[in-house]
Amino acid sequence: MFYFMNSNKMFFIFILFFSTLISISSNSWLGCWIGLEINLLSFIPLISNSNNLLSSEASLKYFLTQSIASINFLFFILLKMIFMKNFEMNNFFSIMINSSLLMKMGSAPFHFWFPNIVEGLSWFNNFILMSWQKISPIILLSYYFNKNFLILIIMLNAIIGAIGGLNQTSLRKLMAFSSINNLSWMMSSIMISENLWIFYFLFYSMLISIMCFMFYMLNLFFINQLFFININYLIKLSLLINFLSLGGLPPFIGFFPKWIIINFFMNNNFYFITFILIMSSLILLFFYIRIIYSSFMFNYLKLKWIKIYFKNKMFILLNFISMVSILGMILSTFFFL
Amino acid sequence: MQKFSICFISFFVLFSFSMINIFFFSYFVMNNLVYILEWELISFSSMSIVMSILLDWMSLLFMMFVSLISSVVIFYSKSYMSSELNLNRFIILVLLFVFSMILLIISPNIISILLGWDGLGLVSYCLVIYYQNIKSYNAGMLTALSNRVGDVFILMVISWMMNYGSWNYFFYLDFMVNDYMMMMISVMIIMAAMTKSAQIPFSSWLPAAMAAPTPVSALVHSSTLVTAGVYLLIRFNSLLIDMFFFKVLLLLSGLTMFMAGISANYEFDLKKIIALSTLSQLGLMMSILSMGFPDLAFFHLLTHAMFKALLFMCAGVIIHMMNDIQDIRFMGGISNFIPLTCLCLNVSNMALCGIPFLAGFYSKDLILEMVSMSNLNFFIFLLYYVSTGLTMFYSFRLTMYLMINDFNLLSVYNLYDEDYVMLKSMFTLMMMSVLSGSMLMWSIFSYPYMIYLPLNIKLMVIYVSILGAFLGYLMSNMNIYSMNKYLKSYNLSSFLCLMWFMPNLSTYGLNFYFLNYGQLMLKNIDMGWSEFYSGQGLVLILKNYTVFYSFFQMNNNFKIYLFSFVLWVCFLMMFMMIYLNSL
Repeated sequence: MFYFMNSNKMFFIFILFFSTLISISSNSWLGCWIGLEINLLSFIPLISNSNNLLSSEASLKYFLTQSIASINFLFFILLKMIFMKNFEMNNFFSIMINSSLLMKMGSAPFHFWFPNIVEGLSWFNNFILMSWQKISPIILLSYYFNKNFLILIIMLNAIIGAIGGLNQTSLRKLMAFSSINNLSWMMSSIMISENLWIFYFLFYSMLISIMCFMFYMLNLFFINQLFFININYLIKLSLLINFLSLGGLPPFIGFFPKWIIINFFMNNNFYFITFILIMSSLILLFFYIRIIYSSFMFNYLKLKWIKIYFKNKMFILLNFISMVSILGMILSTFFFL
Repeated sequence: MQKFSICFISFFVLFSFSMINIFFFSYFVMNNLVYILEWELISFSSMSIVMSILLDWMSLLFMMFVSLISSVVIFYSKSYMSSELNLNRFIILVLLFVFSMILLIISPNIISILLGWDGLGLVSYCLVIYYQNIKSYNAGMLTALSNRVGDVFILMVISWMMNYGSWNYFFYLDFMVNDYMMMMISVMIIMAAMTKSAQIPFSSWLPAAMAAPTPVSALVHSSTLVTAGVYLLIRFNSLLIDMFFFKVLLLLSGLTMFMAGISANYEFDLKKIIALSTLSQLGLMMSILSMGFPDLAFFHLLTHAMFKALLFMCAGVIIHMMNDIQDIRFMGGISNFIPLTCLCLNVSNMALCGIPFLAGFYSKDLILEMVSMSNLNFFIFLLYYVSTGLTMFYSFRLTMYLMINDFNLLSVYNLYDEDYVMLKSMFTLMMMSVLSGSMLMWSIFSYPYMIYLPLNIKLMVIYVSILGAFLGYLMSNMNIYSMNKYLKSYNLSSFLCLMWFMPNLSTYGLNFYFLNYGQLMLKNIDMGWSEFYSGQGLVLILKNYTVFYSFFQMNNNFKIYLFSFVLWVCFLMMFMMIYLNSL
């Protein structure tokens, strides 16, 4: 994960970041497409690792899906350019452009690649895939979206994210489904405003970074590893509480952006969609708790002779972020006394 | 070191307080003074919560009696509770109890009354469960919850009195008599007093509270706690005097007196007999109070406090000697072994029956004569006189069981009468139960009551007493064969000896249906339908969905994933064509 030790990867991560900026700041659809394409091509080298068969497979899958989405994107923006004037809306084109963007970000009806690819990625790549790679498709979506279609997609995302994660034993897949569920919140926030999306996205990426880095440090990939991991109980507790924060339990900071979105939705009369979002995040919270609670509270093995390798180089940073996640909302209330 | 134990210090302080009170009482009653001290605690939107202290002859005299009895009881418990590990806790609880009683006595403000009233309820709960076993827990819970009903009524009175802008009920008693709100308030006050003084729907807690240590019974459940309700009604008397509900109270308290008198005759537990006689005397106080003679009720309250505390203390000595056995069937002939204790016991018992020139005679005789002078129906008259006879009945039965009959405990036994700590305290109270009647009568009545009765009515008390004593003698001599005759009237006997089924009313009767309903709810709703329709059912449905979903997800068939997008495009195209054709 330490890309600054590897000049190739440093280069590609740099391109990755800047390609996103290209795509979200260009003023023509073609420029956007170029940015997306550069983004895809710079992420592939970050994924692939010649020693690991799974990650090579994942890179190939990622390439295939993204390029199909890009082809469709290009096709439909060109069609749109040919058939329509500049500021014209058309249901067909908007749905098709939206669909290709949804496929790029791994949103619900076209999300099947997402849990599969996630399975072959390291935790840091997962983090990038779940946070940074979402930026450009969502921003592009916010430029040109079909509202009715998007509402449907939001509900589908919420439900599939909740139901798909219910039966998972792999933590990476679980985080992937949680990301699908959170994508529905993000898409609903871009229906309100871009600032709201930035707000939600920042909080979400902070929370997901805690989870990914902590799993990275503890080398956790599957739920059954949680049962015989030999770590300090404070770290376990912090993992537990960060899970609750990610699920959006009120005293923690994960609830805060959800609260704001619920508030805006209520103001804009999106009652049904809010109901779906809240109920699905309830199911999400249920399986978070089911994982953590049973493994940390009920029974876990404490082996005397297993020493699990524990990478604690980023521990201070992680502690700081998780303190923000746990106490942020409580402490921030004191500023408004 | 032994002399300066907590018992001795508390005794000394309380006794001095009592002496101070008797001094001030004499001064106040001579000059007819009333002092009201007010200390404003909070003033909230023109209503001020004040801690008020009312000092007149009544409160001073009551304080004197309470502190005297409690000092003596604490002195007594030095010996009675001598093997108790946490004696300090016990004494502190008793002191807290005395403190809350004094708060109740001196306050003419309903909020500061609540302070004392709740304090009494709480501390009496702590004292009843002092012997931490299941029986005491049950008794304590029954006591606390019955008293809690009264607390709730007092709380409601507080909220009703907010309409007047102040909680000093003392100032509204005369002016607001005909007010509708004041009528509500007085009904609630009567209900509260009925719970505290264990009148008929609420009387099951008083015998149950005998699970407390005997000094506690002597202080709390005979002379102070249960008289709090009577005292409250004495204070409110000028408001209540013409109310209809006061007539209901007369009936209820007369029935309480009657019921307790009968139940005492069925009882074999020494302390419970005394508790039931307390209940009967409380009924007497309440009924004479509800006829409009608050000073007579107060008079009887004070004399009764003296001899009832003494009676309990004697019972405590006997229980101590009998290896903690309270059943009077084991006792008998103890006047041969412990003459001093039996002397005290007899004096208090006779004072209870109203044998002339003991304490009880002055108050009880005066009450009964005032009843005969009043304009009453025959039923109430009968209740009074039958209950008087019943008092004699159970007292004589108790005396016969304890003193005359054979000793039935063990064939080898050793009774001692040399516990001088207990005896000293008992003798103090014995003096008082001989003297207090006449003393009080001369001091507190500013003018005598005029009694003018025909001879037979005047002698009616003596007739019923002699009849009661004779019946008590017969009853104590009953052999096992005669006892079995109870079975002929089994239903009536169980009705009478179970206090007219009142324990069932306030324990099983109240709990059973709610608990049963709760169990039904638990079975059908909590663990049944609501589990199926929320928790388990939802998990089942979601599990099926996720299995269904995994069918698409798990097979890692990339072709299908990509093809789904193509299908979507085709579907949309088709839809588009249909749409365009329809244009």
